[in-house]
Amino acid sequence: MTPFELAEPKTLKEAVGLLDADDPTVRPIAGGTALMLMMKAGVFRPSKLVSLRAIKELTSIEIVKGELTVGATTPLAVLEHSEAVRMHAPVITRALRTLSNIRVRNVATVGGALAHADPHMDLPPVLIALGARVVVQGRSGARTIPVADLFAGYFETVLAKDELIASLIVPAQDGRRAAYLKCTTRAVHDWPALGVAVSVAADGKAIKNASIVISAATETPMRMSAAEKAASGATDDAALRRAGDAAAAEAELISDGQGSAAYKKELVRVYVARALRAALGAA
Amino acid sequence: MATRTIGSGQVGRSVPRLEGAAKVTGRAEYVHNIRLPKMLIGKIFRSTVAQGRIKSLDVSAARALPGVYRVVTIDDVKTVIPNPLYGPAFHDQPILADGKVHYIGEPVAVVLATDPYIAEAAASLIEAEYEELPAVFDEIEAMTSAAVVHDELRPAGTFPDLKHLKGKKNTNIALDFHLRRGDPGKAFAEADHVFEHTFRSQQVLHLPLEPFVSAAELTETGLTIHTASQSPSFVRIEIARLLGWPENKVRVKVPYLGGGFGAKLYIKLEAMVAALTLLTRRPVKISLTMEEQFYTLTKHAATFRIKSAIKNGRITGRDCEVWWNGGAYADIGPRITQKSGFTAPGPYDIDNVSIDSYSLYTNLTPAGALRGFGIPQLVWAYESHTDMMARALKLDPVEFRRNNILRDGRAQATGTAMKDAAIEAVLDRLALRMNMKAPFDHGGGTVKRGRGIAIGFKASISPTTSIAIVNVAADGSVTLYCSTVDMGQGSDTANAQLVAEVLNIPAESIKVVHPDTDVTPYDMATLGSRSLYHMGHAVRLAAEDAKAKLAALAREVGVPEGANVPVAELFQKKYKMQAGNIIGTGSYIPSYVPPDANGLTPEATPFWMVGGTGAEVEVDTETGHVRVTKLINVADVGRPVNPRIVETQLSGAAVMQFGFTMQEKIELDGGQITNASFADYKIPSIVDIPPVMQNEAVESEQGSGPFGAKGVGESGTFGVSPAIANAIEDACGVRLTELPLTAEKVYRALRAAQGKPLEE
Amino acid sequence: MKFTGALSVPAPRAAVYEKVRDARFFASCIDGVRDLAQIGPDQYAAVFETKVAYMKFSFKVTVAVTRADPPSQIEAAVEGAPLGIVGRMTATSITTLTEVGDGTKIDYAVDATLTGKLGSLGQPVLRSKAREMEKQFAARLRAAFEPSEAAP
Repeated sequence: MTPFELAEPKTLKEAVGLLDADDPTVRPIAGGTALMLMMKAGVFRPSKLVSLRAIKELTSIEIVKGELTVGATTPLAVLEHSEAVRMHAPVITRALRTLSNIRVRNVATVGGALAHADPHMDLPPVLIALGARVVVQGRSGARTIPVADLFAGYFETVLAKDELIASLIVPAQDGRRAAYLKCTTRAVHDWPALGVAVSVAADGKAIKNASIVISAATETPMRMSAAEKAASGATDDAALRRAGDAAAAEAELISDGQGSAAYKKELVRVYVARALRAALGAA
Repeated sequence: MATRTIGSGQVGRSVPRLEGAAKVTGRAEYVHNIRLPKMLIGKIFRSTVAQGRIKSLDVSAARALPGVYRVVTIDDVKTVIPNPLYGPAFHDQPILADGKVHYIGEPVAVVLATDPYIAEAAASLIEAEYEELPAVFDEIEAMTSAAVVHDELRPAGTFPDLKHLKGKKNTNIALDFHLRRGDPGKAFAEADHVFEHTFRSQQVLHLPLEPFVSAAELTETGLTIHTASQSPSFVRIEIARLLGWPENKVRVKVPYLGGGFGAKLYIKLEAMVAALTLLTRRPVKISLTMEEQFYTLTKHAATFRIKSAIKNGRITGRDCEVWWNGGAYADIGPRITQKSGFTAPGPYDIDNVSIDSYSLYTNLTPAGALRGFGIPQLVWAYESHTDMMARALKLDPVEFRRNNILRDGRAQATGTAMKDAAIEAVLDRLALRMNMKAPFDHGGGTVKRGRGIAIGFKASISPTTSIAIVNVAADGSVTLYCSTVDMGQGSDTANAQLVAEVLNIPAESIKVVHPDTDVTPYDMATLGSRSLYHMGHAVRLAAEDAKAKLAALAREVGVPEGANVPVAELFQKKYKMQAGNIIGTGSYIPSYVPPDANGLTPEATPFWMVGGTGAEVEVDTETGHVRVTKLINVADVGRPVNPRIVETQLSGAAVMQFGFTMQEKIELDGGQITNASFADYKIPSIVDIPPVMQNEAVESEQGSGPFGAKGVGESGTFGVSPAIANAIEDACGVRLTELPLTAEKVYRALRAAQGKPLEE
Repeated sequence: MKFTGALSVPAPRAAVYEKVRDARFFASCIDGVRDLAQIGPDQYAAVFETKVAYMKFSFKVTVAVTRADPPSQIEAAVEGAPLGIVGRMTATSITTLTEVGDGTKIDYAVDATLTGKLGSLGQPVLRSKAREMEKQFAARLRAAFEPSEAAP
């Protein structure tokens, strides 16, 4: 690691002002669990890091007009133990328990988990399935982006270099049921080879409509629209399997150390159906 | 685990580890914590080509970085060590690459600075130009490839039987070992059935949580090396050889190790820090990162072709061909090829055997010993093969083994008669604890269940020497000096128990002095589960010597025999004050006969280690995921000196091999390791470990061992891989022959079995 | 890392060969190549810059046409080291041209190896980057042979 400047702004506005739209060596840092790895490996040498730790305004969890609003620097462990989160979208609580380990969850933040844009992260597919959005602060004001539109590629988001995620908003779920299944292939505790998040509006076991998102096996988290179509109106297990088949057919999968694309296609087939089953059985 | 104490009640007692409190409170001493005055830190610049000539090396930018003290290349090293080649079997490894590089990650230059971050930043400014040469990575290709790793073989003089390899050219075969016994050709010709299978073990590595670390400093009398080494005596001898110094000018000190598993044997960083200290006249320390461990030493990947002749349910003949992927430098690979090679036919009574075992150079990270010294690779193959034959012959896998195992008195492949090897007891206990006679629920739907067992054995490396000193102070307190390295296996505690047993005092009262070659006597190394047996004998002998001298002292001062006079009073009587010592010494080397031209010897090993594993698994047939639900490990450890430590050694070994079986694999792309981190190279964590895991030492005695004991560090590894593969076939009918047993491999095999193979 | 792909362009094979044989044209199809200079017959030096999110890597590379078999095949080799980080990139490419009617089918096969720090830790993301570059390369190549108004 080589020396760099560390700024510790107290407000979001101040933080945004310290960023630089044109200089990629200036980066915000929150929990640092991902960025520090890049720095230790020598692939990222910052000139300036803008720490978000001292910004108090970004750490709240509240229900506003029926929507769950989470400040971007809220540590994942706080999210995991929040009663408000568990009441609003219990799938988030369940997903967090499988996300990395306690040490990482204690420091990694909600905003970082989104801004890092590693396709292997667990929260993005869950949040996309729940229809969540982020509020992004820039120099000239704030804008709102659906989480589904946030990711532009491996480690890439649509955010400008002088924009910061300020908060995450998860809309009211109105009785929708959700599940997240994480499939690992090298060890139980690993980044997923495949993540599948689903949210269904169902009448008993009959699905009215479904939101189906896969991640980790793809370059960015992806909604599986053909699978969603196949799942809507599903009343039996054969229909859930057809949704799995549809997802396997439409997903653009990548081969890596966790498995070949051909194998991951089969995992998608099986896990999409299992996730739908789990959601139907979930609260 | 059963407690069987004897005599003084010290052997057979689960004494809590002597160092436990110091370790859990962070007070235990490790090399990583050492800070020496004016110490420089070294960071290594490594090769980025697998085989090539160094055309140019530009260190100017690194040298110019403020804070850099010096950049060192092999030319500098040669000014203090003219012939900078080292290695236990071959003097083939240079301290830094000399003209040629042989694998990606090989050290090429070192940057020295007081600030490690500056040294690291400077190392990345070094530019090397290479002329790339053809490389070879696969052990089978290395047998015949046009790409030759070394221009000329340079065996060390250390092992007399390797001398004939000196100067051999145009070959990647570092050593070939051949054994012929009986008439295998006839056995195959007369067989009812002949089975032949080929198995492969992947490349994995030790990954101790304490990576390699060494520091050196000059003193008024020579050179002191502080190092996380399993072989301080070897380091001293080899450094003295490199420098042309007498042994007593080199001092090697080893505190606790944060794991070793065979990685920290012979020389690793010690020659480098010695050279750097001599060049700079300042203390130098090098601490590797986790990533750099991948470029230092691995376990041998191996291919094993095994062929058996069966007549009337008996194995009458066996052909074994084993190819060991040794990487770019021989390290101890040639020893593995021979010392483990001769057990390749397994713990079975087979009259007609042929073994061909080859140690090969390839352009990969060097391979060496790793918890089992080659045995797990062999058992993986022969015990998978055993089950495949039993299945084909429709024989019960336990009974098939029982009909063929080696019993005491019968000759093993080398001709050495088995003695004190509880193979049948291990098999029986395993079958009983696995309840193999009872019907088994094979599951249904998409989750199939299966069970499997496997047994293996290992010979101890021989002949090796251990020496110990027991010092009784004038107040009766006792100190043990020996060079066995406690790297977490509990040797301090076990050795203290042996002394305590002889002297009839509590083990907890004994102080064990850690290896310091100025203070502790010679020991070959802490490896291959040899220490409890060899050092155990030396320690026992030293304690008995001290005891005899105490008895003589008692006689001298007129105390009647059998009187219960405290030791302190004996000293008081002789020296008229609290003064004096009793020094007991012990030295041990077992008898050994080297193999003849056919690989045969009546005395191949001082003792045999036996281990077996039973596994129950659940296979998700929709994804290929395998869940090991039960793992039973049974071993013959002789008499357990410390039952609690024996159990943790068995479970630790089994868990390590479980990782090598299910999940660990060094991924390679053009010779480059692509998963050189804990993030991508997954060792088992607590959530991967089977929910039911039991470990047992069978009732047995090693007749020739100290108090009936023998080594235990590796026995838990032997049966794990084949037991799980056997259970997978039992569950879902597919057979995997290549480690690790990943979900994708199981799934692909299931699809292939359905006639619907998955595309690549 | 191996990549293979194919595309068809509406131009006769000889014309396509002439173009792809020209290192300057070839380099212009790869995003991030600059300062191309001929250093010998069929040998070039260049700087190749690529960016993954906020991380930027520059490589000093040499490119050599190792075999030219007009009008059907060209083999090239690229070799280089990243600046400021220990590593090395080598790649060989085989471009094969076949006549399909009036047009030409271009098959390419690239075998790339990345060693050192980037190779040991950055594989997944660099693979992703390479796939993106490959798509871009094919698009630029196609565009070069299409009537200008049809450029993407």
